[in-house]
Amino acid sequence: MLKGFTTILLKELKELVRDPKILVPMIILPLIIFPVLSLVMGYAVNSAEEQMQKSNLLILNNDNGEWDQTFIDYLNQIMNIQVLNNISPQQVIDQNLLANYNSTQFMEIPAGFSQNMTRHLNGESNITTSINIYGVFQGGGIFSDLGSSGLVVYVNAFNRAIAPDIVLTTQSTIINDQVQEGVDPSTLSVLMMSQSLALPLTVMIMIIYSMQIAATSVAMEKEEKTLETLLTSPVDRFAILMGKVSSTVIVAGIAAVTSLIGYSFMMKSVTMGIPIAGDIDLVTLGLVPSTFGYIMLGISLFVTLLSALALAVVMSTFSENVRSAQALVGYIYPLIFIPSMALMYLDINSLPMAIKTVLYAIPFTHPIIASKAVIMGNYSIVAFGIIYVAIFTVIIMYFASKLFSTEKILTAKLMFKRGPKKKQKD
Amino acid sequence: MNLAVDARSLVKQFGSVRALDNLSFTVKPGEIYGLIGPNGAGKTTTLRTICTLILPSSGKLDVFGLDVVSQAAEVRKILSYLPEESGAYPNLTGYEYLEFMAKFNQKEGYDIKSMVNEAVELSGLGDRLRDKAKTYSKGMKRRLLIARALMTHPKLAVLDEPASGLDVLHAYRIREIIKQYVKKYNITVILSSHNMLEVEYLCNRVSLVNEGKIVIEGEPKELRAKYDSENLEEVFAKVVGYA
Repeated sequence: MLKGFTTILLKELKELVRDPKILVPMIILPLIIFPVLSLVMGYAVNSAEEQMQKSNLLILNNDNGEWDQTFIDYLNQIMNIQVLNNISPQQVIDQNLLANYNSTQFMEIPAGFSQNMTRHLNGESNITTSINIYGVFQGGGIFSDLGSSGLVVYVNAFNRAIAPDIVLTTQSTIINDQVQEGVDPSTLSVLMMSQSLALPLTVMIMIIYSMQIAATSVAMEKEEKTLETLLTSPVDRFAILMGKVSSTVIVAGIAAVTSLIGYSFMMKSVTMGIPIAGDIDLVTLGLVPSTFGYIMLGISLFVTLLSALALAVVMSTFSENVRSAQALVGYIYPLIFIPSMALMYLDINSLPMAIKTVLYAIPFTHPIIASKAVIMGNYSIVAFGIIYVAIFTVIIMYFASKLFSTEKILTAKLMFKRGPKKKQKD
Repeated sequence: MNLAVDARSLVKQFGSVRALDNLSFTVKPGEIYGLIGPNGAGKTTTLRTICTLILPSSGKLDVFGLDVVSQAAEVRKILSYLPEESGAYPNLTGYEYLEFMAKFNQKEGYDIKSMVNEAVELSGLGDRLRDKAKTYSKGMKRRLLIARALMTHPKLAVLDEPASGLDVLHAYRIREIIKQYVKKYNITVILSSHNMLEVEYLCNRVSLVNEGKIVIEGEPKELRAKYDSENLEEVFAKVVGYA
């Protein structure tokens, strides 16, 4: 054993565990965050499964043979189905039958299905038949694509019972009421993942990183005692605050622009892989944001970053040094993590009103909501978010200016426990 | 005649702790006035109150006739504060730091340059001023900050432990500079120090602060005679009951 190791280890542990600024963000908060996340993920999976169980599968039966009924009977044992005879996929969309039958997908049994089945079973093994699956692209959370992949599994199970590879599947996607033949919803899942994961993750990392930097701006001045010198100089105190926040505004602006450039580049490269005819506008299909959408998203990102940075500056005035300032802003992280991760899995509109209200109240949620809303062209919710976060920022700035105009800028400290107060250092 | 500092019945309460307890004293223009006392006596609180950093809970404090509460911005224009153990911006060079601080006091480019040049001379740091402040030793930082505090030729310089962290020779040089500046630019200085030799050498008058009150006040010579002591250290010890 190294001489003195245990003594040093015990002393270090005592110091770390007794510091609430370390104990709470590093040990207690993860105990809260991960159970909350597991609840969110569980809720997301359950709601996707429930949705799948509740919804009906529409079957468009355009075949009048012997095998179509066998196939329908097989599916009827597994799930709720509604059969419509002699109807084309476009008619289903035009007559709004999906909504009427509470369904998000349908399956077409084409004409000649039974005839080809019979020929295959009679020895013409090169003859196969096909089932066409149509899914509606919703662009929700990660688990919103559970349905269409399930149907392929059921068809394969049918094949195993009859003959291998006798029924093949083709998949098409309905985007904004238009059938995109041959576009497998799974190819769009990359896009859905990009929408669901990339921006929330970027926003999360960007806010946390920026807050860490901003938190040091006042704390560093306190630690080096340069703040005292500055506050006794002939300079307007509000100018000190504005100088600090403005520099972070510039950084936030650059961060928002670079993030959007990266995000639009990623969206372009992802959509290039989607086999949709080149003359179709991806914006009108609701697959990528419009230029106006990108601008709205940029503003949303900018005001949110600004609010986070202003909050970090205010919080750092309650700390005495850089280390404690960074630990202090750690208390804000759950408010960044939880909405970001929750909205990766869930569509905010599907949540109960109470949870929805809480998420809307957290400023850091809004760019994530905006990232989905601009794709769907729902700009009013983005505008609401921008106004809400801007008001939040103004309140924070007002509070900060009050702090800077009084001695609290030097004397304010967060008290973590009650006890005898220390005498002011001479 | 206007007093440089006129403190009357100052009280400063931090929660249940009374840092200043009816503290009163005056400093005349051109005087070097020293505050001495044990740790926690209220010296830094007094200096911070003069510098408008903290507000008195009650009492009145004027600096050259300006009220530190209602005319704080005016007070800041005529004083310069050197906090104890303060540093500079680690990623600015010493020269950039001096220039940054000079810009608050001077508007014209020429005046800024001339002010900074004076501080360069005062600090004695030479080419090291081109290096970032994070590479400076404690003593070098102190020399930079003293130069910053004096380069503006303030009417009142408030110096908290001015020579702290300096070696004997540099401390001696700094004391000489303070004395010169007081004469040359008619600067009033109020300082606190634990170094009795420094206080005795520099100050025209000193006061001993204990538990937020001024216990004794006078010229160093007078105090030595009154307490039959060889130096201020002995006076200090006798007054607080250690000797």
